[in-house]
Amino acid sequence: MTPTQDGLVSKKLRAAGILIILSLVVQGLSLVWNHPLAFVAFLVVGGLLLLTGLGMYVWVLLVSGESQAKTAGQTVKN
Amino acid sequence: MPPVIVLPLLVIAGIFIAVIVVRPEITVARGGKIMAFLALFIFPALLTVLGFAGHMERSKQTSFCLSCHIMGPYGRSLYVDDSSYVPAAHFQNSRIPRDHACYTCHTNYTIYGTFRDKFRGLVHAYKYYIGRPANPIRLYEPFNNRECLHCHLGARSFEQGAVHTADAQTMADIKSNKLSCVSSGCHDTIHNVEQQDKVKFWKPVQ
Repeated sequence: MTPTQDGLVSKKLRAAGILIILSLVVQGLSLVWNHPLAFVAFLVVGGLLLLTGLGMYVWVLLVSGESQAKTAGQTVKN
Repeated sequence: MPPVIVLPLLVIAGIFIAVIVVRPEITVARGGKIMAFLALFIFPALLTVLGFAGHMERSKQTSFCLSCHIMGPYGRSLYVDDSSYVPAAHFQNSRIPRDHACYTCHTNYTIYGTFRDKFRGLVHAYKYYIGRPANPIRLYEPFNNRECLHCHLGARSFEQGAVHTADAQTMADIKSNKLSCVSSGCHDTIHNVEQQDKVKFWKPVQ
């Protein structure tokens, strides 16, 4: 992985983590709030944050996996 | 699962994720990768499932349904002091669990009935807060005998009731939902919220 890619992956990983933490905060708050809107907040806000965070994390996995495969390929060639 | 269990798990997962956020470089090592996978994928997914189950369970509570202002008269109808009111008679005599009163009769006793009901609940929330709720509120479809028979099928009072067994066809029609329990002139006093100013209310003994 190049240093630029490394920085980008770190940034994305951080962003994914923050989004997932936010989704957990929303989920936690919705669990202590006994109101129909809590269910909506859990599903819509919490769900969207979680899906975005998970998506970003999966992207990080794919990018780092791809660059690792490239590095391994170059090592074999050399 | 109760929030008392889910909340500490949320905090623990949050701490693990915070470690990744503060020091993403730890994910270069194999152990860090595994930790990141657990913290960023497995824990949140599991906690979401647990939270969803908790919300589903809580949304079955009578207090949950009655927390919307529009449901108030329907909640009060459970306390009408008149045994001809079907929901009141069921509620007051504990024929249905009082804390799940609305759900017990108004859920759809089919394989995905609960999920369909909860989806409708989201539509209700939308209509209540953003759209315009129907006034008076109406059922989406006529009340299905299936919901009554979920409990009454096989019960002596139902199977051997004089009117139900008056002829073989009546029982067959009730069971096949051709003859409605609630709209056939038999058990047709339901919530009747329009008449609430003319009825007495039962006060439960504390």
